[in-house]
Amino acid sequence: MIAPRHGLMLLAPLALVLAGFFLLPVLMMLPTSFREYAPGTGIAPGVWTLENYTRIVTDDYYREVIWRTLGLGLFVTLACLLLGYPLAFLIARGPERWRVPLILLVIFPMMLNLVVRSFGWIALLSNRGLVNNLLIQLGLIATPLKLMFNLTGLMIGLTHIYLPFMVLMLVAAIRNVPRDVEAAAATLGSSRLHVFAAVTLPLSASGILAGSILVFVLTISALVTPRMLGGPTYKVMATLIYDEYMQLLDWPSGSALSFALTAMAIGVIWLSSRLTKRWAGMA
Amino acid sequence: MSALSFERLGKSYGEAEVVGEVSLTIAEGEFVSLLGPSGCGKTTILRMVAGLVAPSRGRILIGSDDVTSLPPNKRGLGLVFQSYALFPHLTVFENVAFGLRRRKVSGAELDRRVKEALARVRLDAYGERFPRQLSGGQQQRVAIARAIAPQPRVLLFDEPLSNLDAQLRDEMQIELKRLQRGLGITTLFVTHDQGEALSMSDRVCVMAKGVMQQFATPEDIYHRPATGFVASFIGKPNRLQGLVATRDGQGGSLRLGTGLTLPAAHIDAALGARVDVVIRQEAIRLRSGEPGPGALAGTIALRSFSGARVQYVVRLSEGVELIAETPSSGPDSALDPGTPVSLVIDAGSIFAMASEGAAA
Repeated sequence: MIAPRHGLMLLAPLALVLAGFFLLPVLMMLPTSFREYAPGTGIAPGVWTLENYTRIVTDDYYREVIWRTLGLGLFVTLACLLLGYPLAFLIARGPERWRVPLILLVIFPMMLNLVVRSFGWIALLSNRGLVNNLLIQLGLIATPLKLMFNLTGLMIGLTHIYLPFMVLMLVAAIRNVPRDVEAAAATLGSSRLHVFAAVTLPLSASGILAGSILVFVLTISALVTPRMLGGPTYKVMATLIYDEYMQLLDWPSGSALSFALTAMAIGVIWLSSRLTKRWAGMA
Repeated sequence: MSALSFERLGKSYGEAEVVGEVSLTIAEGEFVSLLGPSGCGKTTILRMVAGLVAPSRGRILIGSDDVTSLPPNKRGLGLVFQSYALFPHLTVFENVAFGLRRRKVSGAELDRRVKEALARVRLDAYGERFPRQLSGGQQQRVAIARAIAPQPRVLLFDEPLSNLDAQLRDEMQIELKRLQRGLGITTLFVTHDQGEALSMSDRVCVMAKGVMQQFATPEDIYHRPATGFVASFIGKPNRLQGLVATRDGQGGSLRLGTGLTLPAAHIDAALGARVDVVIRQEAIRLRSGEPGPGALAGTIALRSFSGARVQYVVRLSEGVELIAETPSSGPDSALDPGTPVSLVIDAGSIFAMASEGAAA
C-alpha cells in the first residue's frame, strides 16, 4: 500500500500542471462570462450582468442548439452501446485467437487523423456521395437523401468515431463477469436470454456506465466532426462556442455557453450514474 | 430406485481424454462424493451432470429421464460452487428467490419458501442484505439455500468448502450433512479433501486420471482400498520404492531397501517388478524397546507433534525410513531421537502398485 503522503507526492506533478494550465485559465473565464459585450468595441468596462446566462435559457436559437447537442449525445451513446455491446461480447467471450485481431480492428480507425475520417464521411454522405449515388443507381431513390448538414450525418460520423471507446470499456467489463454466476443462473432455470438479461447485463453495468459517460462527454464537446459534417449552419454547442469566440469575438457569451455545457455534462453524468447504480444494485 | 446414473460417461478435448468411461448409479436420497486429486476429471463429471459441459460419449439419467442433451435450465438441479457464485446485484432474499421465480412461484408462496430455505441455513435475518455484506461462510450458506429452495431432484456441490478456513470447514461439513439428511435430496459432492468425502458421504467414488478407481462406502474405501492408487490417496501414506519378491494369490512379499522383506496383502504388479509400496502411518504400531517376533527394529530419527497425534520418523536398519503415528498422550508419545523402537505392520495395510516412474 502507498501511504497517503507518498500518494500526494506522486499526484503532485500532474496536479500542478492541471491547476496551472487548466483549472486556473478556466476559472479566469468565469468573470468574463458575467461581462457585457459591446459589438465592435469588446468587453464593456465596469459592467456586470447575468444576461449571458439568461439568454441561453430564453433565446430560442440557443435553446435549439442545446437540445440538439443533448439529443445528439444521447443518440450517439445509444447507437454506440447497441452496436458495441455485441462486438464487445464477441471479443470478450469468443475464441481466444480472435481477441487480439478484433481489438486491433476496433482501434485501427483511431490511427487515422480525425479530419481525414470526417472527410471520408463527407465523401460517403454528401448529395453526390457514394451512398446516394449507389442508392440512385440501384433505383431505390429518385432524389438524393439528405445525409449531411443535419442530425443524421452528425450521428453517423460521431458514432463511428467514438465506437472504439465504448467497445474497449465494454470488453473489460464483460470479461469481469464471473462465468460461475451465469452458470448458477442457468442451473436455477434461466434460459440463455434470461441469463443475459438478469445476470450478464447488470453485472457489466459498470462498463456500460463508463463507456456511455465517455462517449456522451466526447460527443457533446466534439468540434471537428460537427463542423465538417454539419457545415457552418447546422451548429452544436461546441461549434457555437467556437464561433462566439473566434467569429463574433463575443467572449462573455462564449464563456457562459462553455460553463453551461460543462454543467449539463456533469448533470447528465450524475443522473446516469444514479440510475445505473439503482438498476445494477451497486452501492 | 436410482436417482442419478451415468452410463459410460466420458469427455475428451481433442486428443486429451479428461474422463474415460465412468458408469455409476446413485440411489434416491444418497450422498455420494467424487474424490480425487486435481485434474482427475471429477469437476468435469459434475459440470456434465449440470449441463454446463457437453459429454463426448455416454448418457446421464436423472431418475429414468435421459438428460444428456438437455440444457442446464431444463434439468432441475441445484448447484453450489466453490466461488459461491451469488448474484452480487441482488439481495440475499432475491438470490434465493431466483430459482423459484423461474418456476413461476410468486406471492405468499414465494415468500414462505424463500424464508424456509434461509431458515434451513440459519440466515433468516439476512434477507435484505447484499452478498458483499456477508462473510465467506454466510455467502456459501446463501448459495446452499438458493440451490435447495426450488427443491431440486439432485444437489451438486463443486468443492463448496475449499474457500473456507479450517474450523469453519469442519462446522459446515456437519451442517451440510445434517441438512442433506433432513431434506433427503440426492447429492453429488465433488472434493479433493478425503476428510470431507469420508465424513459426509454414504458412498465415495475415488477418481484418478479420468478413471473410476473404487466406488464404495467410506469404511471400505479406507480399510479395503481396491487399487494401489486408492491406498496411496486415502489416509496418510508412507510411499517407498520396492520390488515384488514373491507372489501368493492377491498378495506376496515385497523387498525394500537393502534387504527388508515385508508381507503384503494386495500387490498390483508381477513378480520381480519395481513397485511403489504404500504403508499407512496410522497402520504402524510403534512401541519403545527391542522388537519381538514378527516386529521390525528401528530407531527414532525425528519427532513431530501435531496436537492429537505424534508423528515419528523411524529409521530401520536396512536403510529405510518410515513415518509412524501414535496418540499424543500415552506411554510412547515423547520418545527422543535415538530411542530404539519396535514396529508392527499388518500385511493387510501394506499395498504395492506398479512404480509410476518405471515401465511395469
